[in-house]
Amino acid sequence: MSAAAWVLRQYTLLVNIQIRSMRAAFWFIMVIQISFAAGLVLGLGYLIPDISKETATYLTVGAATQQFVTVGLVMLPQFITEAKTLGRLEYFLTMPISREAYLMAQLSVVAMLALPGVILTLALGSVRYGIGLSVDPIVVLVALLAMLSLAGVGVALGMACPLPEVTNSITNLIIFYVLFFAPVLVPSSQLPWVLQKTALVMPPTYAADAMRATLTHLPDTHLGSSLLVMAGFAIASSALSAVMIRRQG
Amino acid sequence: MAILDVQHLVKRYKSGTLANDDISLTLEPGEVYGLLGPNGAGKTTLVRQVLGLLRPTSGSIAVENVDVVADPGFARRRIGFLPQSQLDLQSLHVDELIRYAARLRGMPGNEADRRTEEVIERLDLEEFRKTSLHSASGGIRRLAGFAATLVGATRLLVLDEPTNDVDPLRRQLLWNTIAEEGRGGTTVLLVTHNLAEAERVIDRLAIIDGGRILREGSPASLRSLVTEQLKLELSAAGPLAAHPALRADPATAGAYLFAQADLGPVSGWLSTMREIGKVTDFRIGPPSLDDIYAVTVRQHQPARQLEAAL
Repeated sequence: MSAAAWVLRQYTLLVNIQIRSMRAAFWFIMVIQISFAAGLVLGLGYLIPDISKETATYLTVGAATQQFVTVGLVMLPQFITEAKTLGRLEYFLTMPISREAYLMAQLSVVAMLALPGVILTLALGSVRYGIGLSVDPIVVLVALLAMLSLAGVGVALGMACPLPEVTNSITNLIIFYVLFFAPVLVPSSQLPWVLQKTALVMPPTYAADAMRATLTHLPDTHLGSSLLVMAGFAIASSALSAVMIRRQG
Repeated sequence: MAILDVQHLVKRYKSGTLANDDISLTLEPGEVYGLLGPNGAGKTTLVRQVLGLLRPTSGSIAVENVDVVADPGFARRRIGFLPQSQLDLQSLHVDELIRYAARLRGMPGNEADRRTEEVIERLDLEEFRKTSLHSASGGIRRLAGFAATLVGATRLLVLDEPTNDVDPLRRQLLWNTIAEEGRGGTTVLLVTHNLAEAERVIDRLAIIDGGRILREGSPASLRSLVTEQLKLELSAAGPLAAHPALRADPATAGAYLFAQADLGPVSGWLSTMREIGKVTDFRIGPPSLDDIYAVTVRQHQPARQLEAAL
């Protein structure tokens, strides 16, 4: 068996273990994620009663992007810290498995939990506000890069936090930042200068831009450069994940 | 060929704590080796280094003659590990845990199925095969974890407190299985506090404290170190002023240790106490491993405290 086939087999087994080990809660978590996404799209409509189509488009795609942030920077670190605290991580690290396969399995499971929320957000926003979204196959690449570019930071966060409570507090702060202080749901031009500049080093900025570029006809998007920056973040992020998990064992 | 060979192992953490201080031990094929020591003695640090989860500061660790400090992946392939904490894989069923452990160790599906059935039968887990881990009792989860360790058919097993939470009947089964594994050629490194029960299966043991091995040998050889000692367990009818030759046994409440040379006077005192009804029952015998362990650790504590002060 080739090394790649061996890693793929381990990855499949680890995804299976993860899903089966949370089979009682899997659908429940998925429904909560979907409800959160739906609530965000509908709630923003109540907040801005006479919402323009352009703003609605911006908010809908931004809310969908926010779900990717949830995968990489909220759920993944929470999974990792929990695994570390409960000794599950150490158990798997003593098995003859690829560390990368383990991390990819964790990321895949949280992605499975969050992706229906992304799709529902887009569908609901489209129906609720009567906006037309174009489906470009590049969106699959955007979604993948968006999650990968955030996952390394998520893994590092999960490894560094000593307790799940600490991870939860930090991830709440991240959600807060993405909702109100990043050019994900709020146009960059409406943010103060400091936040515009800090957003340049935040992966969600580029994920949101790439999503808008592939799904909408909104002006001022930069698909090529956003994909490049996300790829850079994804490479750096994967390297960071590998370092962090190897430091663990 | 030694299955596990640890030489002059030193582990100093970044905080400055010296967790392992020049530890050397060698485990032969089929040997069940006990690692005993109080909390914070350095046992877990030693085990984590053997498993490749921690890098030693200096010294060497070889598994089947392969340097596992340089190649920790080899240790993972060759060692089956049962951690001290319960495996918290929530809704995973007992049989799934065992089967996936086999599959992750590289066994093809049909072989993993066959080995899973074998281990389930051996550890009497049939009734619990479809029980999810979070709804299983602590003892069943422990046994399931042990089964998942066993299913890998590795030549070296590292078991950290395998009997925690297990009821007496199943503990018996677990100890018998460990003994069978040893007889079958599997080497076992056993970290335990349950000396009274582990004594039946251990071939050799090391008493570790302050990061150092204080004593090492077979249970019989360690017991011979205190042959001049006897243990007295007694039931008193009320408060009792002990004979001056008796010293309270640090390992057993209400028990005493005394020198064999004092057997005569102590027996005389016991007869008198029994006649006047102050002692209702007593038993004199050799000290247990628990006693040897407690005496050894206590003997070394003043030296450690002095070292720490210096």
